[in-house]
Amino acid sequence: MASTTPSEGFPFPREYFFPAFFTRQPNLTIHHAQLTKWSSLVLAYARHHRIFRLALSAAADSDLFYNRQLDRRLAPPDIREVVDFMRKDGRAEYLQPGDAAAAGAGAGAGDVVLIYWRKPQEWAVLIEAYVDETAQKGSVLTVYELTEGENTRGTEFHGMDNGVLMKALNILVKRGKAQIFGSEDSLGVKFF
Amino acid sequence: MFLKHLDLTTALRPLYLPDEVLLFVQDNVGLYEGKYKLPNQQNGQVYLTSHRICYVDKVEPRKQSAALDLKEVDRYEFYAGFFKSSAKVTIVPKPLRRSALHNRVMSGTGVNSRHSTPSPTSSNDAYAPPSGPPPASATWVCNICSFSNPVPSNFDPAAANAHTPLPPCLACGIKPALSLVLKAAISSASRPSPLLNPSQPGNINNYTFSSASAVTLGLVDPFATPSEQGKADAAVFQCPRCTFSNHPSLLSCEMCGAPLLSQDAPSTISTAEYIRILSQSPGPIKDTSQGAVDFAESVKISFRGGGEKIFYERLKSAMTQRKWLLQDAPPAPKSSRMADDNSSSGSPGTPTQRTKTAGIAGLEQLGLNMRKNNEILIGSAFEDLEALMTSAKEVVALAERFAQQVNGANADVTSKENTILAESAHQLGLITTKDIVGSGGGSDSLYFSELARNLAEFLTDDARGVLKRAGGILTLVDLWAMFNRARGGVELVSPMDFEKAAQMWESLKLPVRLRTFRSGVMVVQARDRTDDATIRSILAWLQDLHEFPPDREVAWDWREFGRGVTAQDTAERFGWSLGVAEEELLMAEEQGVLCREEGLEGLKFWKNYIGKTDIAVLQKREAQEEADAILRRLKDTGLI
Repeated sequence: MASTTPSEGFPFPREYFFPAFFTRQPNLTIHHAQLTKWSSLVLAYARHHRIFRLALSAAADSDLFYNRQLDRRLAPPDIREVVDFMRKDGRAEYLQPGDAAAAGAGAGAGDVVLIYWRKPQEWAVLIEAYVDETAQKGSVLTVYELTEGENTRGTEFHGMDNGVLMKALNILVKRGKAQIFGSEDSLGVKFF
Repeated sequence: MFLKHLDLTTALRPLYLPDEVLLFVQDNVGLYEGKYKLPNQQNGQVYLTSHRICYVDKVEPRKQSAALDLKEVDRYEFYAGFFKSSAKVTIVPKPLRRSALHNRVMSGTGVNSRHSTPSPTSSNDAYAPPSGPPPASATWVCNICSFSNPVPSNFDPAAANAHTPLPPCLACGIKPALSLVLKAAISSASRPSPLLNPSQPGNINNYTFSSASAVTLGLVDPFATPSEQGKADAAVFQCPRCTFSNHPSLLSCEMCGAPLLSQDAPSTISTAEYIRILSQSPGPIKDTSQGAVDFAESVKISFRGGGEKIFYERLKSAMTQRKWLLQDAPPAPKSSRMADDNSSSGSPGTPTQRTKTAGIAGLEQLGLNMRKNNEILIGSAFEDLEALMTSAKEVVALAERFAQQVNGANADVTSKENTILAESAHQLGLITTKDIVGSGGGSDSLYFSELARNLAEFLTDDARGVLKRAGGILTLVDLWAMFNRARGGVELVSPMDFEKAAQMWESLKLPVRLRTFRSGVMVVQARDRTDDATIRSILAWLQDLHEFPPDREVAWDWREFGRGVTAQDTAERFGWSLGVAEEELLMAEEQGVLCREEGLEGLKFWKNYIGKTDIAVLQKREAQEEADAILRRLKDTGLI
């Protein structure tokens, strides 16, 4: 889904047009800088296009990792390295193969990555603030309502990925601020 | 001074004179002047060449090094060493006769007569009573064959005893009795003047007064006097023995053959010296004063690390060969055949040769003549070994010219290189070989250090420009090949020795250094060429690429990023070899200045626009991660 999104309007950073940026640097310090820049580029790109999950095999051909103008691309192993780097930073997560959410995402195991341009904790804070603001504490909301409902239009988490949302909600549950119930299709959340 | 200042090469070896040949090197030597150690010259190397003995100090080579010319050496003695005193070779300088005479006068009269020396009037004093007798004018008559022999010039009646060596009679070879010679010497000394007795100071005072007053009062112009008096003397040069009036230019009496003493040049002086002094006779002031000051004591070289025997042997042969005389010797007389050929072949063609030819015909004629000359030269040179040796210089020059012409015909890079090597091969006459170097306690370290210096000279020689041609950097293997080729196939250096020598550059503080790249490639560089300098030059080049558009359209903004360069580009740009260029680029990458791009066109290097993270930050991060991992593991095991 993300891979097909056109990238018009996204201001790519300067390095994106630097041919050597697409080659893995053997020098440790340069390599680290390279990873940092790539990770921030991926996050900015994902935020711009509101991408929550990235299928790596497909993304390799997207504008993100493939600069058609220069005819330079980041090789798949290098993409994985970037993702790993982001994972260490808490900015990305592989979808577990057994995870139900991964089922629809296409390719093989470990191919799909959740991109946390906002970390689940941050999402949790946002949702809590929204609930607080709209005085819905103690009431029950469906998960669908939260992401697709009329009321959340204009908030950041409108149209949010389900998997990420569940992670955020689970954090709230752990803190004792919410409770999730219901079955697969119709999940409900009660905020305290 | 007997010991002169010595010019050193960049590699801190003596700068050789033309045609000078290195004969021997020995380290761990010290210098003595007379009996005393020279405090600053106690640890160094001695270089024996065909012309000189050079001492190069180890601690302060530029300041303390000294040399003495073999041509000024009178004799040399060997002392084998005894218990703690190490073996020594004593070198006695040739005394300038003038100064020797002075010394004798000084010791004989006990009065410093030096204030008379600046005045040329003293030249007459050799005849005049107070300054002592000219010793060589004395004769003793052999009582076997009654031949009148000259008393030896260094015979001092005051110091002579039974052990003084006396030369035998020139006619019959029987040694005279000491008393006979003594008597002769004393009588001859007293004949011109009976006043030689040192116990008559009045006379000396008189003399000094008169000479001093002559100068100070200006009664006699000190500069005009000698020539006038010289003229007066010149008219009648009376033989001291038979009183025959000789022509002034004669060196010995026409009548009796007794040596004629010039006023200031004693008889035993060499002819060349004599002529030199004569030619300078109007102003011998400098000469004499120098002579008095110049008298230096003998120099001793103390061999603490052995090698004295070989040194002595080579010194002996060098003194016998007297190569310094050849330095400006006239070329060997041409053989008769050459002259014959010249005349026979030249006689019909002489008019055309002499006529001023012009145009192509003239050039052809010129070439023809030259070829004919060469032919004659070669023909005569190879007639026999003797001839070859005498005309060696010319033949070598000829061979070099031929080599140049051959290479000039097909002028590509390699042949150019060969020319340079061929040219330089003969300059490498001063090569270091194992037999030149003394064995310093059985180890080869001296050989290696000499080889290292030799290499450094080879590299830094401006005329050859080995390093410059290679862009200031050269792989050790290339240098090894080049060096051995320059040696012309003899005395080759083994790769092991070569590497060991190259590794000594650092410790010897020579202007070149050996560098090992990460890949293990060893290169040779000038000392001032550091990594920083290399990086600077690469960066400047890459910066230039921002200004000049690339050859073809490029997808990126070349004004902003410039262009990626391959090792090939770099090698071409800086004149390095490909391997060196690659290593230098990798080095720059490792420093974080360049970054790489691997693409279809190969490995390219760019200026680092990715930026770099601080090493400290990186390390901190790693440490943090490690700590986190430990914490996590502790948690997992339930300890926390």
